Amino acid sequence: MAVCVAVIAKENYPLYIRSIPTENELKFHYMVHTSLDVVDEKISAMGKALVDQRELYLGLLYPTEDYKVYGYVTNSKVKFVMVVDSSNTALRDNEIRSMFRKLHNSYTDVMCNPFYNPGDRIQSRAFDGMVTSMMIQVC
Amino acid sequence: MSRQANRGTESKKMSSELFTLTYGALVTQLCKDYENDEDVNKQLDKMGYNIGVRLIEDFLARSNVGRCHDFLETADVIAKVAFKMYLGITPSITNWSPAGDEFSLILENNPLVDFVELPDNHSSLIYSNLLCGVLRGALEMIRKPRCTADT
Repeated sequence: MAVCVAVIAKENYPLYIRSIPTENELKFHYMVHTSLDVVDEKISAMGKALVDQRELYLGLLYPTEDYKVYGYVTNSKVKFVMVVDSSNTALRDNEIRSMFRKLHNSYTDVMCNPFYNPGDRIQSRAFDGMVTSMMIQVC
Repeated sequence: MSRQANRGTESKKMSSELFTLTYGALVTQLCKDYENDEDVNKQLDKMGYNIGVRLIEDFLARSNVGRCHDFLETADVIAKVAFKMYLGITPSITNWSPAGDEFSLILENNPLVDFVELPDNHSSLIYSNLLCGVLRGALEMIRKPRCTADT
C-alpha cells in the first residue's frame, strides 16, 4: 500500500504529488525531493541501456526506518516515485512493478487527453481515481 | 461500380490512437481559436456537415442498402451499418419520441473520446458534435430535410 505517489517531470518539478492524509505530509514531500538525487544517480550509472522494461524500473531507492522509496523512470525522463510503508513486508517486488506499470499506463492516458498540455500539473480525475485505488488497497 | 470492385470488403487498417489524437488536436485548436464553446460547437457541426454530404456517397456505394421505407429502418441502418462501417461501433437506439420522428443514439465506446476528459472551463462544449454534423449532412443529401441532430 503506497503512502505517497509522485510524478516528476523531466525538469525535476512535480507534476503530481499525493500522499495519504497524515499530520506531517511535508515529510513525504521532502523524501520525494531527496529521492530525485538517487534517481539521477541511477540513470547516469545506467548510461544508454534504458530501453528494456526492467531498466525502466529502478527498484528500491533508499530505505528509511519507517518507509521504503521506489523509483521508475520512463524513456521521456518522467519519473515516478512511490513511498511505501516498511511495516508492510508482504509487498513483493512484482507488486511494486505492477503498480508502476499501472501508473505509467494512466500517465500515458493523461498525456493523450487533448486538453492536457505537457508540463501542466496533472488534474485528471481518472488518474486521481487510480492513485486512490493504489493507496487504499490492502496488500 | 468500379469503386465497389476496388474496395469490396477491404477495410484499411489505421491506428485508432492517431485518429483520436487528430480529432482531439482539432477540437483543442478550435477552442483556442474561438474561445467560446458555442462557436466551437457550431464550427464542428459545419465541418461535420461537409463531411456528411460527401460521406453519404461513399456509404451508399459501399454498403448497397436499398431505400429505407420508414424512419425506423433509417435508424437501424445508421446504427448497425453506417456506424459499424466507419467507426467500428454499434450505438444503441433508444428514446423514441411518441410521434416516432426522434430517437437517440447512445454510443458506448466512442473512439473519438478515448482518453479525453473535458476540463471544467469547457462545460458546454459538445465534443463529438462533428458526428452530429455528419449525420445531418448525410441525411439531408438523401432528402430528409427536417433532420436535426443533438448530443
